[in-house]
Amino acid sequence: MASVEIQKVRKCFGETEVLKEVSLSIREGEFVVLVGPSGCGKSTLLRMVAGLELPTSGTISIDSKVVNTVPPKSRGVAMVFQNYALYPHMTVRDNLSFGLKLAHVPPSEIEKRVKEAAEVLGLVKHLEKKPGQLSGGQKQRVAMGRAMVRQPKVFLFDEPLSNLDAQLRVKMRTEISHLHRRLHATSIYVTHDQVEAMTLADRIAVMNQGQLEQVGNPLELYQNPRTRFVASFIGTPSMNFVEGELLYLIKAPHGVVSAGFRPENTFLKQGKVSLGQGQVVLVEPLGSIAYIHISLKGNYLVSEMKGHDWPEIGSTTEVFIDDSKVFYFDSQGKRI
Amino acid sequence: MNRRASLLPWGLLFPTIAILSIFVIYPAIQSLILSFQDVEPLSKRSFFIGFENYEVLLKSPDYWQSARVTGSFLLLTVIPSLVISLTIAVFLDANPFFQNGFRTLFLLPVAISSSMAAMLWIFIYNPTAGFLNYFLDVLGIHGPNWLADPDTALIAVAISTVWKELGFNIIFFLAGLSAIPNELKEAAELDGANGWQIFRNVTLPLLSPTLFFVSLVSVINSLQSFGQIHILTTGGPMGETTTLVYNLYRDAFVKFRTGLASSEAVVLFTLIMIATTIQFRLAKKRVHYG
Repeated sequence: MASVEIQKVRKCFGETEVLKEVSLSIREGEFVVLVGPSGCGKSTLLRMVAGLELPTSGTISIDSKVVNTVPPKSRGVAMVFQNYALYPHMTVRDNLSFGLKLAHVPPSEIEKRVKEAAEVLGLVKHLEKKPGQLSGGQKQRVAMGRAMVRQPKVFLFDEPLSNLDAQLRVKMRTEISHLHRRLHATSIYVTHDQVEAMTLADRIAVMNQGQLEQVGNPLELYQNPRTRFVASFIGTPSMNFVEGELLYLIKAPHGVVSAGFRPENTFLKQGKVSLGQGQVVLVEPLGSIAYIHISLKGNYLVSEMKGHDWPEIGSTTEVFIDDSKVFYFDSQGKRI
Repeated sequence: MNRRASLLPWGLLFPTIAILSIFVIYPAIQSLILSFQDVEPLSKRSFFIGFENYEVLLKSPDYWQSARVTGSFLLLTVIPSLVISLTIAVFLDANPFFQNGFRTLFLLPVAISSSMAAMLWIFIYNPTAGFLNYFLDVLGIHGPNWLADPDTALIAVAISTVWKELGFNIIFFLAGLSAIPNELKEAAELDGANGWQIFRNVTLPLLSPTLFFVSLVSVINSLQSFGQIHILTTGGPMGETTTLVYNLYRDAFVKFRTGLASSEAVVLFTLIMIATTIQFRLAKKRVHYG
C-alpha cells in the first residue's frame, strides 16, 4: 500500500483550465472518494494519478516518489474503468492474467492469483467465458479482479458503478466496501453519486469547477459544509436554501445572502421558527418516510416527514425549521 | 395475410432478382454450358465436347504460366496493400491532426478510373522521361525499363495496383480502428503493455473483422485485376503479366475461343470460391466479433 500526494496540480486542455492547483494528500490504506458534478475535473485528476494524462504543472507522488513522468505501468496503480474496459476477445481468465503475463510473472503464481481473485469475486464458474457472456455485475467484478491480481499500491476507480442498474449498484457498492476492508488498499474512487461517496469513503473530496471545495469524512461534510456548493451537493434530498424576506424571519446575521437547512430539519406541524404558509406541490412517499415539496414565497423547500399523515397536494401548510440547524452563506457561497 | 400483402415482398425483390438474373445468373449458367462446347467464332455454331476445353487448359503451358503469374500478383498486391494501408491507418488514427487531409489524399486514387490511373503510371514508369527513373538517376541508380523488363513488369503493375487500392483499405481500417474503445488501450497500458503489445494483443484482434473483410475484397480484386494490366503491359513482356483473367480475355476476345475462355472463367470462379472459403475457415478461428 502507498500514500498519494497531489501537489498544486493544474491541467489545461488548450485554453481550457480543467484543474486549478488541486492539492490532496491520501494516506496509506485510505479510501478517498472524489465527488462532484460532471465536468468538475475529478476523472481528469484520477487519470493523472494513473498516468494516462500529464499534469500541466504541479506534482503527483506515490509513496513519496514524484511520478509525473513515470509511465502508467511503472506506477504500481490499477484502474477500474466506467465501461469495464474488458478485452472482449479474451476469456475472463485471460483478462485477469493479461497484465501478469506481460510482467513475466511465473505461470504457477499467475494461476494462484487468478484463482484467489476469482474465489473472492465469485467468478470461478465464469473463468472460461468471454465478457460478452457475462452480466453487467459480473463484468464489473472481472474489472475489479483484473485490478486485484496485479496487487497494486493504489486502486483507482473511475465511476465503476454508473453503468449498473440501481439494485446491482447497491450490491456492488457493498462488495467494494467489503473488498476494501479486506485488502486495506489505498483507493481513489471517482463518482458523481454522493450516496456512493457517503457510503464508501473514509474521506470525501468534493470538487467543483476544477477546484477542491472541501475534504473531510462523510459526516463532517454533511454536518459542517464549508460552502453552499458542498451543502447542496452532499445529502439527499438536497439542502433547502432560502433567500430574500425569509432571512428576516430566521434572523440571519449581517452579510448573509442565503440560508440552508436540511429536509429532516424542515417541519410541517410544529417547530421552533415558522416560515409562514406554503403550498404543497408534490408528495414523494418512500415507505416509512415521505418528501413533501412546498412552494413558499418564491422558495422551493423539501420536508422529510415520518409516518403516513401527509398533506394533500395543492393544500397549504405552515412550515417550521429548527434555527439552530441553519447554515448561513455569503454572496461568494462561503459559510458564515 | 391477404394475397396482396403476400405478393408485396416479391414485388420489392423483383427489380433485384431481374437484374441479377439477366446480368449475373444467366451469363454464369451460359459460361458453364459454353465451357463444355466448342464454339465456331464465325458461324456461331457450337458442339458439345465434354471436358475437352478443361483438358486443353490443364495441358497448356501458357495457362500454367498465367496461374503462376496470378499467384505472384496476388502475393505482390494483397500483402503489401494490407500492411501499408494498415500502417497508414494506425498512424492516422493515432494522429487525428493529419486525418482529414491525408484521408482525402489517399482516397484520391480510388476515385480515378483504373485506365486513367494506368496512364499516369505509364508516364511514371517511362524509361527515359519517367519520374521514377529520374529520381533513381538522382540517387545514382540506373533504373530498368520497368514495364518492358520481364523481371520488373509484374512488380511495376503490382505497385500501381497497391497504390490504387490503398485509399479504399485505409478508409475501412480507420473506421475499424475508431470503433475500438480507447479505454481498452488505456487498460492495456495500465496492464503494462507497450505500444507493440497493445497493437498485437488488443488492436489487431479487435480489428480482425475489418481485416478479414478487407483481405477478402483485396484477394477477389487482385484475382480479377484487368484494366491496369491491359493498359500498362497488355500481358507482356513474354507473358510475365498475363494473369488468369488476362489470359481469359485474350482467349475470348482476341483469339475468339469462346468455349475455352468459358472453361477458364469456371476455373477462375472455382479458385475465387476456394480462396474465399479458406479465408472464411481461417476467420472462424481468428476473427473476433466483440
